[in-house]
Amino acid sequence: MKKTGNVLLCLAVAVCSLAGCSKKTASSGTGTEKIISPSSAEDPKLSKKIKILSIWPEDNDNGVLLTDIFDAYKKENPNFDYDYELVSSSDLRQKVTTLAASNDLPDIFVYESGKPILDLVSADKIMDTGSILEQFNCSDKLSPSAVSLLKNLSGTDKLYDLPLGLNIEGFWYNKALFKKAHVDVPETWNDFEQVLSKLKAAGIQPLAAGGSDKWGVTRLINAYLVRTAGADAMKKAAADPARYTDAPYVAAAKKIQDWAKAGYFGIGVTTVDMNTAGSMLLTGKAAIFYNGSWFASNLNDKSANAAGEDGIGFFNIPVVDPSISSGREYSMNCGNILCIGKNRYDEATGWLLKYFVEHIGDTAMSLQGSVKGYTYTVQNTQMSDYTKLVLQELGNAQSAFTWFEATMGSEVSTVAQNNVQTLLTGDMSAMDYMKSIQYAVKTSN
Amino acid sequence: MTKVLKDKKAIGIFVVPGFIIYTLIVMLPIVWSFYYTFYSGSPGLRWNFCGLKNYQMLFHDKNFLAALLVNLKYILCVMAGQVGLGFLLSLMFMFWLTKFKAVVRTLVFFPVVLPTVAVAQLFAKIYEIQPNYGLLNSVLAHIGLQNLVQPWIGQPSTALGSLCVMDIWVAMGFYSVIFYGALLDIPQETIDAARIDGAGGFILFRYILAPLLRPVTVTSLVFSFTGTVKMFESAIALTNGGPGNATRSMSIYMYNVAFSFNKVGYGSLIALIIFLICVAGSGLISRLDTKDIY
Repeated sequence: MKKTGNVLLCLAVAVCSLAGCSKKTASSGTGTEKIISPSSAEDPKLSKKIKILSIWPEDNDNGVLLTDIFDAYKKENPNFDYDYELVSSSDLRQKVTTLAASNDLPDIFVYESGKPILDLVSADKIMDTGSILEQFNCSDKLSPSAVSLLKNLSGTDKLYDLPLGLNIEGFWYNKALFKKAHVDVPETWNDFEQVLSKLKAAGIQPLAAGGSDKWGVTRLINAYLVRTAGADAMKKAAADPARYTDAPYVAAAKKIQDWAKAGYFGIGVTTVDMNTAGSMLLTGKAAIFYNGSWFASNLNDKSANAAGEDGIGFFNIPVVDPSISSGREYSMNCGNILCIGKNRYDEATGWLLKYFVEHIGDTAMSLQGSVKGYTYTVQNTQMSDYTKLVLQELGNAQSAFTWFEATMGSEVSTVAQNNVQTLLTGDMSAMDYMKSIQYAVKTSN
Repeated sequence: MTKVLKDKKAIGIFVVPGFIIYTLIVMLPIVWSFYYTFYSGSPGLRWNFCGLKNYQMLFHDKNFLAALLVNLKYILCVMAGQVGLGFLLSLMFMFWLTKFKAVVRTLVFFPVVLPTVAVAQLFAKIYEIQPNYGLLNSVLAHIGLQNLVQPWIGQPSTALGSLCVMDIWVAMGFYSVIFYGALLDIPQETIDAARIDGAGGFILFRYILAPLLRPVTVTSLVFSFTGTVKMFESAIALTNGGPGNATRSMSIYMYNVAFSFNKVGYGSLIALIIFLICVAGSGLISRLDTKDIY
């Protein structure tokens, strides 16, 4: 028995030693370029079964667009097929990391834009989508602003992902409640604070916020920070000329904490998720809700929107000092993005991608009345007023800035989001909140 | 039977296959995890040997110490609640409940079989304050205790306690059934004899029931301890480790470190610490079970 045990232990050690023989991945650089040029001018209809990993069910949101386009391509190329795998958005990063570790990334997968893809880039796990589109002659199908935004977010010269949205963010408000409190849409930050005060005095909860989802609150900190310190404030703090503990950053955190103390978010905001906060706006339980243009899909849903077709309005983040940040500067993002796994990429995938970028713009506008960061030619004649509102605001944007966590690594953004709850409850001061973020930067490096 | 158990070949046939599977599935990952503690990054993504750096980091990691403290408070509270209330319920079944015994036992045991996420959703609604008061806040408001209406899972001061209440409610039925079974095993003559001698109430419990129930009590404490050390799914489902880090256990921190921060090596070290705490704590509790109870 003792001998058997010794043998088994030796076996275990041997297996562990073999595990250490795995390849060391490059810690920087883009690895080898995988160039696969198209073999013909027309799609040769190659045989391929792709695997796609998504966070949207096939009948929801971008899942509808993806499956619609893939099904349409299947009709054009009967040799093509696909497997659609669903993972929850909260598990996405872990799933992709695990698949990357076992060199088993799917052909196409949804991921988070910005810093998260840099690990995959440096480990040479994903394709340079920009060069794929150039080789297949369809780079012009991407909206230049989306390309610029994505490159900016990842801090790379090349494009490593594809957009699945071109969104602006701002304040949605309940028109009936504004009328009840006799307030108008604010343009300056001072006006905004007066509006909040008047709403509170009228017995109306001024703000709904998804405190339990956290990111809805850090967006508010970012809003005030950008208006007071400029669009590149978060970039400066991440790249070290500034620190998160500098005065403008602490002031932005204090602003939101003061709002919480004043009762603008109601009691227990840290227990409210974004869906509930959105419902509170639509059912008249709160007057203002910060969210992105994707919220228009909730507004277009008649069963969910108790406020009706014209009950909700939108205004951009009010201005503090127009010379620092003007009213035509919007918070923008491309939502979750698509990455192409390098391991499985071949010419067949390239032709599929060409078909995808050539059709998604029109498909999104026809089916959902939404812009996804691609050019489109169709006019959605049944566009709702809310979709028109979003397109109008998109057209109004002259410059963009990114969200609070865009320049943070995963460890820093987790700290920033977790501790925003204690900022709201008053258990952590604004300075301590920013110190915790700065400390996370130190420990994550 | 004795002949079979003395035969080494027979022992080999019965024990070795199971032992191999156990080694591969349980022991090997532990050894593999220990090996990972000397690396930084994530396998396949920036995976580099870093020696004892993770161990040095652990001693200065304020987040780990905070998570350890949360775990300790949770362990003490929930162990006492689950086992203590479970025991009291078993006494109720044994000595007080005369009618509807089976129905009451079933209702008390029912939460044990409910999925954790479903229970968390239930309690989230009970504790709710915005947009509407949940059951608890509604009752408090109606009986004139408006000053006690608060966001029970939305503030650090009450979040952990609220989580503990939920987990105690879920598991106390399980321990009540274990203790009830043990009480039924105590010969009635022993209890009758003690009563004839004038023992009742606390004296009966202190000198008759407690010593006879010690093995089951120790087993229950070990079960409860190993469950509470691994505090994870109920905290994730109810509060997601928040607000802030008020309910973030070592397991949640380990999960974040390994899978969100891509520090699998450091996460493996935290997992190893959890394992050692589990083994040490279970060993310590098991020492309470001495053999000289008669």
